[in-house]
Amino acid sequence: MAAILQTRGLKKYFGGLYAINGVDLSIEEGELRCLIGPNGAGKSTLFKLILGSYEPSEGTILFKGDDITSLRPHLRVQRGLSIKFQVPGIFLALPVEQNLRIALQRAFRGAALEQELERLLALIDLEHQRSELATNLSHGQQQWLEIAMAVALQPAVLLLDEPTAGMSPEETFKTGELVKKLNASGMTIVVIEHDMAFVRQIAKRVTVLHFGQVFDEGSLDDIVRNEDVVRIYLGKV
Amino acid sequence: MSFLVQAYAFFYQFADSFAFLVLCGLGLAIIFGMMGVINLAHGEFIMCGAYVTVLSARAGLPLPFAMLCGTLAAGLVGLILEFLIIRRLYHRLFDSIVATWALSLIATQGMLIVAGPSIEGLKTPFGSFELGDYSFSVYRALLPLVALLLLGALYWLFVRTRFGIYSRATIQDADMARALGANTSRIYSQTFALGAALAGLTGALYAPTMTAVPTMGQAFIVQSFVSVVVSGADVMLGLAPAAAVLAFIQSLLTKSYGQLIGQIGLLLTVIVVVRVLPKGISGWFLQRSGGR
Amino acid sequence: MPRWLALLDGPQTLGRGPAFWSVFGVIAVATALLPTFVNAFAITNLTYFLVWVFMALGLSLIWGYSGILSFGQTAFFGLAGYAYGVISINLGDAGLWTWFALLVSLILPIVLAVVLGYFMFYGGVRDVFVGIVTLSITLVFETFMAQTAGPEWTIGSARLNGFNGMSNMPPLTFPWGESPIIFDGPAFFWLVLALVVVVYLGLRILVNSRFGNVLVAIRENPDRAEMLGYNVRLYQLLVFVIGSVLAGMSGVLYTLWGSYITPSSMGLTAAALPIIWVAAGGRKDLTATLLATVLLTWLSQQLAVKGNQYALIWMGAILLVVVLFAPEGLFVTLWKKLRGRKRTRQATAPKAVSSPSA
Repeated sequence: MAAILQTRGLKKYFGGLYAINGVDLSIEEGELRCLIGPNGAGKSTLFKLILGSYEPSEGTILFKGDDITSLRPHLRVQRGLSIKFQVPGIFLALPVEQNLRIALQRAFRGAALEQELERLLALIDLEHQRSELATNLSHGQQQWLEIAMAVALQPAVLLLDEPTAGMSPEETFKTGELVKKLNASGMTIVVIEHDMAFVRQIAKRVTVLHFGQVFDEGSLDDIVRNEDVVRIYLGKV
Repeated sequence: MSFLVQAYAFFYQFADSFAFLVLCGLGLAIIFGMMGVINLAHGEFIMCGAYVTVLSARAGLPLPFAMLCGTLAAGLVGLILEFLIIRRLYHRLFDSIVATWALSLIATQGMLIVAGPSIEGLKTPFGSFELGDYSFSVYRALLPLVALLLLGALYWLFVRTRFGIYSRATIQDADMARALGANTSRIYSQTFALGAALAGLTGALYAPTMTAVPTMGQAFIVQSFVSVVVSGADVMLGLAPAAAVLAFIQSLLTKSYGQLIGQIGLLLTVIVVVRVLPKGISGWFLQRSGGR
Repeated sequence: MPRWLALLDGPQTLGRGPAFWSVFGVIAVATALLPTFVNAFAITNLTYFLVWVFMALGLSLIWGYSGILSFGQTAFFGLAGYAYGVISINLGDAGLWTWFALLVSLILPIVLAVVLGYFMFYGGVRDVFVGIVTLSITLVFETFMAQTAGPEWTIGSARLNGFNGMSNMPPLTFPWGESPIIFDGPAFFWLVLALVVVVYLGLRILVNSRFGNVLVAIRENPDRAEMLGYNVRLYQLLVFVIGSVLAGMSGVLYTLWGSYITPSSMGLTAAALPIIWVAAGGRKDLTATLLATVLLTWLSQQLAVKGNQYALIWMGAILLVVVLFAPEGLFVTLWKKLRGRKRTRQATAPKAVSSPSA
């Protein structure tokens, strides 16, 4: 299987320190990868570099074989990348329905858009709250709304930054099932997570980040067995 | 001999602009730079200070006391306005712009109605001195020193006193400061009042050099914003260098092309700085030293 | 019904359906018929109020819908106004030259808006700094024009005249055989009214379209909008340009109305007024803005006429009250309160087609 997303020698310097200090990452098409690591390891920064919110100090980013390092974020999204931010990035003052429409309207029109809108609303269980302002949703529902918006783009690669933050165990489990379902349909997904139960639920392959570098990579069982990894951050598995 | 006179004339003009920019910017810098509030009524606090100074002096108070009155009056008005209006608008940027603009409008028109188009002014104290063909006002030559003294005093206030430290803490992270025992709403109002008082002081200082008219605030507001924007958020670090650069540009242009072109030059500088150094001079200094 | 017509109603505008549009139709027709039973002076006044509508709608579009606080609208206003003066004075009113002057006067703000917009949006200037840069541009213009009083400041045969203002530019004239149609008095009124209607309807369609959806998205969360694949900077530039044309339209029509333009139409107070109307009515809605503009310009004129010097104080006070107690704008807040009561009354009825709460 070809690598759909790659970073080579990626570095990001922020007035004093290297948030990302030489990351070589390779995600294969159709993978479901988890990115873990202690706080401050640079996980969210890595996502922002991939999407183009930050410019790298060094290194390249390849998507579907093309060098996208100097592309503007919206162009990267148009090529098939999508992200769900750590802090819910939705349109709080707009109704749920409008949030989804804005996500859908680039790719869909007319009846097809309405159909897709219904499908997404059903997916995240918000059919009866479609006219509700997004700010009135619970935190978990807002996370789902954002996931639905990110998914609405039908991306080739979906980046999820802590999708279960603030969710109850039931919501977390549902999210895990949703992620697995999306991956089963062919979407490549990379997930940053702290919740180890969630990682165990969905992960096939795990990358550990520490001080801006890849510390270890492998299946979750391999990672857990690596004592150094346990030492740097896990404390509970 | 003539060259020295020319040089001094230019320096005098430069120092005069420098003082004006620093003094105009101080109050606004505290309020905008530290609190993030855009106070479009800043010019009117200056006007308030000027008017109270002139009226007190005409009523018989010696000039320094009249200036004190002007400063305190502006500070008091600031305190009242903060309590009534400003404190509801701290995290609403657009609304604070609109509200302070409304206040400015009301103040200007109100003053026009109450006091008429202009009031009889004061004489500039200390007279003048001559060099070559030029005559210079002693008072205006001294203002740059006053500006520098004020900067020094504010530095001491914000770095060495309890109020100053609490104030900076509150502005950086209000929740944390509250958790450490700071009375944040009182600090906000005191800081705002300080900014207003400094504006009043500016008005008081310049009252003897110009005619007090209700729209005088407008003459100051442009200079104030120009120096604050170029300075960046850290007042102590950025205001003096910003004022120096701007004063230099303005003096140079005014000398060759006149007042209005000098003014235009300032405005164009702001536009360029916003684009090239979005965090102002202080932001640039901080970035270079690798901090934050 | 063609799809674009259906966009007259949508999530970004208040007021929809047959009830709203019948009222709109009645008001439009009644206003058009006014010259037949109201004196010429009143018509001239009403024209004056209508002239400002474009500026206000442009500001609503840029600020209310797209979240860009530009204080530079008066610069476009003045630029277009002066341009019309200079061009029409030089080219005269024969044939279609006045219309040519009108057209070119609207193109100049576009050029300035493209340059300024590119500089700002593609240069990473955001939020309050857009306001600072645009305000600076406005002040540069005003300061520059103010010092053009001398006779050397002449373009062709048009003297700029500094604070004395430029006057005597010809009204719009359409050739019609022996007696050309001069757009003065009622004719000018109908022209402006027609433009108001066309622009208002056009903007309604624009803001409810996909383009409008993106504008609102950019206002609410520009990073998220970018991450949904939208070229945020380009949208900002485009809407800024549209706003500049609208401000320019007000500028040209203002110059035509009074046959006069001065630098004070570009000063700080002049820049404040449209913001007051838009903020007071409700910047996020076109209809609220339109109503507030006409109402407040009428109100300040009434105050001035009655010898009341308090006009600007009232304006400031209204603005303050609105910001503190009805920050979404008076008309928008009123509308929402009325709709809210209607909705609770209908709460027991079975749920009809769900409509987005605008």
